[in-house]
Amino acid sequence: MKWGTRLAPLAVPLAAAWAALAAPPLLAESPLPFPRTETREPCARRDPLRRPFFGDLHVHTALSFDAFGQGTLARPDDAYRYAQGEAIGIQPYGRDGRPLRHIQIRRPLDFAAVTDHSELLGETQICQLEALEGYDSTVCRVMRRFPKLGYMLVNGLMYSDETPERLSFCIDRGASCRDAARGPWQEIQEAAEAHYDRSADCRFTTFVGYEWSGMPGGDNIHRNVLFRNAIVQGAPTNYIDTPTQEGLWQALEAECLAAGNGCDALAIPHNSNVSGGRLFTTTRPDGAPITAEDARTRARLERLVEVTQHKGDSECRPGGPDELCDYEKLRYPRMMDMVTVRTPPQDLPPRIYVREVLSEGLVQEQRIGVNPFRFGLIGASDTHFAAPGMVDEDTFVGHAAGTVDARFGVPAYPDRPDFNPGGLGVLWAEENSRDALFEAMRRGEAYGTSGPRMTVRFFGGWDYTPQWCQEPDAAQRAAQGYAQGVPMGGTLLDPPADAATRAPRFALWAQRDLGGADTPSTPLQRIQIVKGWLVAGEPHEQVYDVAGERDGAADVDLATCTPRGRGFDSLCSVWTDPEFDPTAPAFYYARVVENPSCRWNTWVCNARGVDCARPDSVPDDLRRCCDPEVPKTIQERAWTSPIWYAPRGGGRDAAQLGASEGGAVR
Amino acid sequence: MSVRASRWLLFLVLALAMPVPMWGPFGAFVPAVRYAILFAAGLAVAWAEGTAGPVPGILLLFGAHALVAAGLAGLVAWGGGRALAPLAPRTRGFVVGGACAALLLLALLVDLYRTPFGRAPANNLLGILS
Repeated sequence: MKWGTRLAPLAVPLAAAWAALAAPPLLAESPLPFPRTETREPCARRDPLRRPFFGDLHVHTALSFDAFGQGTLARPDDAYRYAQGEAIGIQPYGRDGRPLRHIQIRRPLDFAAVTDHSELLGETQICQLEALEGYDSTVCRVMRRFPKLGYMLVNGLMYSDETPERLSFCIDRGASCRDAARGPWQEIQEAAEAHYDRSADCRFTTFVGYEWSGMPGGDNIHRNVLFRNAIVQGAPTNYIDTPTQEGLWQALEAECLAAGNGCDALAIPHNSNVSGGRLFTTTRPDGAPITAEDARTRARLERLVEVTQHKGDSECRPGGPDELCDYEKLRYPRMMDMVTVRTPPQDLPPRIYVREVLSEGLVQEQRIGVNPFRFGLIGASDTHFAAPGMVDEDTFVGHAAGTVDARFGVPAYPDRPDFNPGGLGVLWAEENSRDALFEAMRRGEAYGTSGPRMTVRFFGGWDYTPQWCQEPDAAQRAAQGYAQGVPMGGTLLDPPADAATRAPRFALWAQRDLGGADTPSTPLQRIQIVKGWLVAGEPHEQVYDVAGERDGAADVDLATCTPRGRGFDSLCSVWTDPEFDPTAPAFYYARVVENPSCRWNTWVCNARGVDCARPDSVPDDLRRCCDPEVPKTIQERAWTSPIWYAPRGGGRDAAQLGASEGGAVR
Repeated sequence: MSVRASRWLLFLVLALAMPVPMWGPFGAFVPAVRYAILFAAGLAVAWAEGTAGPVPGILLLFGAHALVAAGLAGLVAWGGGRALAPLAPRTRGFVVGGACAALLLLALLVDLYRTPFGRAPANNLLGILS
């Protein structure tokens, strides 16, 4: 008897046993709804109907030249410790080098990414480490002796040109500074690894990332680059060596996506509000219109956009019929204008707000068959003192832990009045792991909030009925949502013949942030759906109130910041587009709005006992408390990623892109 | 001490230690010498790296403040010298010397200056010169 024959009955069980032993434990468990690209323990809790995870994907530490120049000494490790609930020290520092302030997040985050500026990463290292050549250069001496002056000068030098150059102490045509950048790049990766919970608890997820900080002529075209797992670029792409967005995408394609080593990455553009219209271009660098391939490249890499952060809201253009667009707006359309221009310009350039860029995406899709601007929405902080998720209005200490005029003190009024505490990104994922969260980003099942942790479900389909909101079981409701349509980030194709309606229906459900013992929170006011569509190639937009009620039923006591009046703990609606044109491509996103609450400046001014009725009693450094131009209240909010409608004969490419990621239904 | 010498001494000490507020958004409160140091530091960076963007504006800001603060010190010194002119030279010397010593002592012992361009929010004379 041959061994092969004798063992034949055992072959299958043996092979299975061998596979179970040889493969990582994860591969042996039930099939995952997403590809696992790393080795880790399976999460003890996995929810096929997905859960919302709250995090911050835009965080700077002392490795960023501008943060260091503004007094920040906290490093990536500190940032991740802060995100998980530990207290960290921040500026100012006493003469003994000890921090004079400590901060602690009230509610830990589920995920975070340190995204230090890739530009000047090596230069910052050189100026801090005596052993490195260049430490004694003029710039480094000034940087150490007069950090803020150094920051202002170098930032000004670096970001005023279309083609920035390396600082003069970077020898060998910049090679010394590129070499010096390896240390901080390694530190970023090591901190991300050290704090990533690979155990079954799945308590906290980190992403390796960086910020490519393009600013041609003072226009902000920044992108945060995030990697799916620990396989990353050898060195982060930077604006000095790669001064165009197209160059960034090419580098990501060549050094990551096409590298064949398991590397995967996304780029998240932000602050279109100060981009001068250059963040979302429809032309190539040579002025020619973008092609379908260009659009595909962008759409493949740029799946999310940051809609809010410290430096203002980028959702929609103020001054129009949508009154809620007058929210946290900077009045300067270019980043550099913030420091060099005293009088805001009257005319804002096109495509500096996300909503109009979403519309432009439809226009481009009609022209070339691919939507280059098919992105979901998230919020982030852009903290420059290693404090991810420090977004509560009543704890705001400024963009870089101080105002422009008092970076190294503890200013009474923590920042420019037009800055704000920033927001959070929320990802709907099966579990809190890198792969699950990255997939959520890629399919756009994400939303942004201005800080509060409201929960928002948003589905689009053809068959939802009003009974959806009556379903008492949240899991059942979510299951119906997925079964009958697409979640936020998905695409609706033309309606099936047997659909209950010829117009799309949208199922929305929002729950307020209940806050905590020491965390104020505010009831919901209403949910809106924002629709953008094309008529004869021209973009149109309309905002619909679909649940809750308009202004008037609630306000806030400005003296105590206590919310007053009626509000909602949760809101639900199934809404049918009343003006649906099946031939018109469209997008729909939801905006969930809270009742008014105190803006950060009101908290600050109340805490200092400012009485504007007695102007003589108001200290000079709190004069802004009594400036009528500075809003006293805000309406915190959440913005979901859009759901697109692609009519027959158009938008198939984009729809297929969505479908390939589980986000398109007919 | 001659009137001329008392004016010069007053001018030097005031330029060294008399804080002058900075106009604009930065909120500094430092003497002429500190503005001159900041101007020199900015000039050194501009010399090494060029003058793109807001660099000339920053240099102008510090240069103008150094000149204005020095001018104020000169004005106070001239006025002081004029006021002290009727005194006997020996008495004048005591008064000027005492005033200068008092100002320097205060500047050395107390964090008199607001220094947003340094590493600490407030500092004394040694701190802003070091």
